[in-house]
This record gives sequence, C-alpha cells and structure tokens, in this order.
Amino acid sequence: MSVLSADARREFEIHRYPALIYALVPVLAVVLQAWLPRVMGRFAWFDLPLVITVFFALSRRNPIQGSILGGVLGIFEDALTGHAIGINGIAKTLVGYLAATVGILVNVENHAVRLIMTFVLSLVGSVTYFFVVRFLLGMSMDTNWMAELYKAIGNSVIALVLFPVLDRAKIRD
Amino acid sequence: MESFVVRYRNLLVLLVLLVAQILGLAMQVRHVNSGQGDGQGVRLIRLWANGIVTPPEKVLHNTGSGVSWIWNNYFYLRHVREQNADLQKTLDRLRLEQAALLEDAKQGQRLQALLNFQQKYIYKTLPAEVIGTSGSEQSRVFTINKGKKDGIDRDMAVITPDGIVGKVRDVFGHTAQVLAINDQTSGAGVIMESTRIRGILRGNGQGRPEIVDVISDQRIKQGDKVLTAGGDQIFPRGLPVGVVDKVVNDPERDGFVDVILQSAAHLDQLDEVLVITATEPRFAPEQQQDIATSEALKGAEAQKQKTSEGMAEKLPGLVDPNLPADQQPLNDTSNPNPVSRPPVAIHPDRFTPANVTPPAGATPTSGQAAPKKPETSKPAQGNPAPQGDKQ
Repeated sequence: MSVLSADARREFEIHRYPALIYALVPVLAVVLQAWLPRVMGRFAWFDLPLVITVFFALSRRNPIQGSILGGVLGIFEDALTGHAIGINGIAKTLVGYLAATVGILVNVENHAVRLIMTFVLSLVGSVTYFFVVRFLLGMSMDTNWMAELYKAIGNSVIALVLFPVLDRAKIRD
Repeated sequence: MESFVVRYRNLLVLLVLLVAQILGLAMQVRHVNSGQGDGQGVRLIRLWANGIVTPPEKVLHNTGSGVSWIWNNYFYLRHVREQNADLQKTLDRLRLEQAALLEDAKQGQRLQALLNFQQKYIYKTLPAEVIGTSGSEQSRVFTINKGKKDGIDRDMAVITPDGIVGKVRDVFGHTAQVLAINDQTSGAGVIMESTRIRGILRGNGQGRPEIVDVISDQRIKQGDKVLTAGGDQIFPRGLPVGVVDKVVNDPERDGFVDVILQSAAHLDQLDEVLVITATEPRFAPEQQQDIATSEALKGAEAQKQKTSEGMAEKLPGLVDPNLPADQQPLNDTSNPNPVSRPPVAIHPDRFTPANVTPPAGATPTSGQAAPKKPETSKPAQGNPAPQGDKQ
C-alpha cells in the first residue's frame, strides 16, 4: 500500500477545471454583479466576484493564485464603480490569500466549512474595504454595517448553491 | 536567501500585490487632488473593464426588454382605454395651466433681460436606457447605453420626468457611466422651495440623498420641496430633487443638521433617463410649439381665469374661506367696527343689491368665497417661473 506524503496529498486534493471555466466564470460573475442590482434594486445583497475568488482559492489551494485572482477581480470591480482603482483589489487580494491558506488546513469539501468560510471572508473583505477607504485614502464614507452583514449572508447562501454546481465541472483523474 | 524566498514566497507575493495596489492608489489620489482626474492608466483599465462587461450587459438588457415589450404590447393591454382618457384629461388640464403660466414666464424673461441675467432652459435631451450598475453598495454609479458617439459628454446632467438623477462621470464610445445623486462622492447645489435655504446635496451610507452642512433651522419641515439651485453649472435651476424626509443633527458639528430627502426620481428602479445635452437661454422648438398649442387651445380660458383671480385678489372679501362660519367678518361680534349689513329694502326692485347679478368671477363682493387659486404644478423642467433670486 502506497503512503502519500503531506505535499503529495495536497497535490492530490487540488481541484482542476477546464480553461474555459477559469476564463468564463470570473467574467460572468463580474457581469452579473453589474447587471443584477439593476433588476433587484437595493436587495442585491451579494458579491459574486468575492464568492468566485473564495471558490477558486479553496479549490486550487494556492495562495498565490488566490491572491492574483482576487486582485484582478477586485480591480475589475473598482473600474466599474468610479472609485479609485485598488480599493476592492486590496480587499479581494487579501480574501483570496486567506481562503487559499485556510483551504490547505481544513477539509474544504464540507459544506458547513465552505459556508462559514464564505461568511467570515465576506466580512473580512468588507472590513478591509472600509479600512482602505477610511485610513489609507482618508475619505469620509459612511458605513452601513447591516448591509455588509446581509451581503455576507447572501454570499454564504450563494456559495452553498454555487460551489456544488461548479464542482461538477472539475477534471477527474 | 533562496530558501527564504521559497519558504515565504506566498507571503512575499501577497505583500508585492498589496504594496503595488497601495502605490497605485496613492498615485491616483495625487492625480485627483491636482485636478487632473483619472490618469491614462486608470482610464485604460476603466475602458477595458467597460469593454468586457458592457456587451454581455447589453445582451441581457435587450433580452429582458424584448420579453417585457412583447408582454406589454400584446398581452397586457387591459385598461389602456381608461388610461388614455385619463391622460387626455391630464393633458387638457396641463395645457390650461401652461397657458396661464405663459404670461408670467414672458414677464419673468423681460425682467431677467433687464437684470442682465439669463435663465437657462433645457434645450435638448437625449433619452438613454440604464443597462447596468457598478455592482457595489458603496458606489451609486450606473451605465447607460449612450456614449460619446451619441453626443454625450462628461458632467452632463441626467434626469427623469420626476426629478434629477445624476451627472455623467465617464464617457466611452457607446456607453457612459452616470454618478447618481445618492452616491457619497456626488455633489449638487440645491435650494429648499419654501425657505430658500441652500445647500449641497450628496448621498449617505444608506444610499439616500441628503443636504449636508445646513445650519439648524426650525423652518425646515418634512415634505418641503427641494429644487436644484443652478449654481453648480450642471443642473439647470428649478428641477425637482425631492422632498424633505427627516432632519438629523450633524454628528460631527454642533448647530448643523443633515436634511435627508426622499428623492423625486426612483433611483433604485431606473429604466430610462434623459441626458441634458444642451441648455440655452430660450425655449426649444418643441417647447415653443407646445406653448403655442396651449395658448391657441386654452389661451382665452386661461385669460378669463386669470382675470377672475386678479379681481378676487383686488376686491375686498366679506367671506374669508380660511375661517369657520361663526368667525366670518360678517358674524364677528368681537370686532369693534363690525361690517354693517346693508339695510333690507322695503320695496325691492332690480337695483336692490341682492338682486344685482354680479359680474362673472367677481363673486367675493356678492358674499361668496373667493375662487381658489388653481393648484398649478411647477413649470416644466428647465422652464421654472422666475423666483426673483439670482444664481
């Protein structure tokens, strides 16, 4: 019986997806994030790019890839907001890094773990966003923490539904 | 050294990414503070992001619009006849009001010319559809399906028939980004209609428009109308902004309040907007034609109504419509100089006051209530009646 080393086990547990999924899903997330609030009004309590960042970071278990994906999606979002570019970028870079780092340590197949991680990382993203706005940029921006809490809940619910769907697309050896 | 880099490469990459973005932010802030707006690099990123997001957004929007169009034009035509009749009545009433206001507007223009001040009217607007948003709670920016090639430019005012919406922030080839009035970085000069208190309008954390840095004033009441002041060089004067919802103390400054508004335009559910592409010190040809039609159709009626109003204001009234019956001047016993009733004629004839038919509209002298002034709405957008205060 062959025994896998820790690194080999990690390598074994890394999920791989077709290139189309890597290209299409993040773009679709940004497009829907921009379009759905027009339909749902002020009840659009979710952040799809963040959910996608968490998903790929957890699946790939690579902090570098997680950070880069988070950073790119965040910058993309910033470009659409009209605010300075990098605010969401910094927040999501951190989220991608943390998700991948924690993904190495815990069993990310567990739905409860995914739910809790998405919730906590959403709040981490919001706190980082407001830290950057308030302390790095010195902007006086009011904070609606209830909306951020609703957003974290919304992200968790979406993750619960979306992650199993995306899991079906993974390449099986 | 090599082992250090290998061992901490994840952390090092994170630090490099964070530092790069922080430096990028610092450079942007420097650019903005020096009044240069977005730099070339930032503008390029915005252009790419817009170029990638807008086409699928347009497809989604057009699909939704198509389904909605089929539903509205083929399946949902109930009550259209009644609605048409109602609209015809409204149009009729508005024509009468417009004809009545025309003389005031002309007089106002003459006075403005004397004061060497020219009111800017909305001369040309371009309808546009909202196809997307920023997708962020912290940013109230939305995308419209008209851009530079349609004649849109930066800082053009965006409105709906209900009220102002925002201003154009960034313009691309076929799309443009609009900064809504409830964004925290927006700003517009506004004035309260009844108190004439001026202020700066911006959004708060909850996405509601508020007038900031207003000195506490007891006269500010819920429901007061707020209009554009015209001083910001973006919105023409007199456009509806909203009504006062509540007044809260400014948490950072004593003696100041923030006036939170209920916006006139439905900022959360915008489908179509109008971009003001030109303002001129004269009416647009369509407006002139509309005014001429109103004058031709309703001019005589409006003139008659105006004359009766003028007479009602000038002639003394024996009946005050605002007082109850027992406190009317004729019945007021506390008045040391009571109004004497005319003596009753022993042999009434056609010259007896009670038998004289009063002229049309001169009803107050015959002891009836003064005719109520018609409830006229504000003049059409960009066509406000002069209010005497210069910008």
